[in-house]
Amino acid sequence: MEPNQQIMVLPLGVVGKIDVGRLLREVEGLENFMRQSAIRQPGASQKPPRTSRMLDEIIQTNKLNVLIEADRARLLSFLVQVKAKAPVLHMSFSADPSPLFLQRLMTWLRQEIHPLVLLQVGLQPNIGAGCVLRTTNMYFDFSLKQRFSQKRDVLADKIRGLST
Amino acid sequence: MDVWGLVLILGTLAASTAGFIWVALQLKGGGGAKKKGDVDFTKQAEVDVEHIFNDEFREELRNRGRLHFEKIIGENAMFLQQDLRLTTSQLNEYMKVEITKKLQEEFAKYEESITDAKQLAIESITKTQEAIEQQRQMMGQQLLQEIANERSRMLKRFEENMADIVNHYVLAAIGDQIDLNDQLEYILSDLEANKDAIIKDLTDGA
Repeated sequence: MEPNQQIMVLPLGVVGKIDVGRLLREVEGLENFMRQSAIRQPGASQKPPRTSRMLDEIIQTNKLNVLIEADRARLLSFLVQVKAKAPVLHMSFSADPSPLFLQRLMTWLRQEIHPLVLLQVGLQPNIGAGCVLRTTNMYFDFSLKQRFSQKRDVLADKIRGLST
Repeated sequence: MDVWGLVLILGTLAASTAGFIWVALQLKGGGGAKKKGDVDFTKQAEVDVEHIFNDEFREELRNRGRLHFEKIIGENAMFLQQDLRLTTSQLNEYMKVEITKKLQEEFAKYEESITDAKQLAIESITKTQEAIEQQRQMMGQQLLQEIANERSRMLKRFEENMADIVNHYVLAAIGDQIDLNDQLEYILSDLEANKDAIIKDLTDGA
């Protein structure tokens, strides 16, 4: 999915494919509810499904009206496209990242890398600090462990200097 | 005094007796009746001899001779005893000297044997000490070499795994105090540095 082809914006709260899948299920549920409501007799009491904060966010961000079938179809199509074709980055951290951290990270990724990029977060406590990034074909190690390995000569020189 | 002395005394006594007899004959005899006088004198001498050398005189001479003989025997016995003592003393001295000499020779040989054995023992001990010293030096060198090799191996292994060691140490020391939010700037700077590669891989990748 090319960035210039997109017609909708993915909110920062939607981080990974799981979130997209959850949105898809919600939109499908909403669509089912609307269809069922259309075939019901008027005046019958109906309880609309509760929408999540992510769905509210994406609706507000893209200025959609879920009561309009075309908007729902656009949203559904967009989410399907995103789930199928959006680029996914795998990032592992030494600890579980906070929502604020993820939000700031996603802001940078959506601005600098790709507007629809999704992120799959992993946990690797042994890396110490930093992160490990894996794209489709590449692997980037930004961890403290890798930094120590790169600066091993400096560290060895320092240790030798201390020992002499 | 020996036998010759006794013979000399007896000879002197016999000569004195002959002198007396000759003087007595000269005093009694004349020149005319010389032949008749000679016979008488011979008979008279024989009588006088028998008269002079009577039993008492003979006994006296015998006693004197016995006494003199005893005296000589005593003196000789004394001389013999002195000689015997002297000889015994000399013999003792000789034996003493010989035994001392023999003992000294034996002691010298014994001492020489002991010295040789001591020298052999010293040489053996010296060789053993030299061998031990060489062995010790060789073992010391081997030990130093082993220590150096082990040190090199440990250093090499440490340097190879230094990043993991330091990382583990940092994690153990301040792992709880490393906040992920504080790392965001560094993470974003790393991402920024590799942004082109990431975008290229996302756009060009399958």
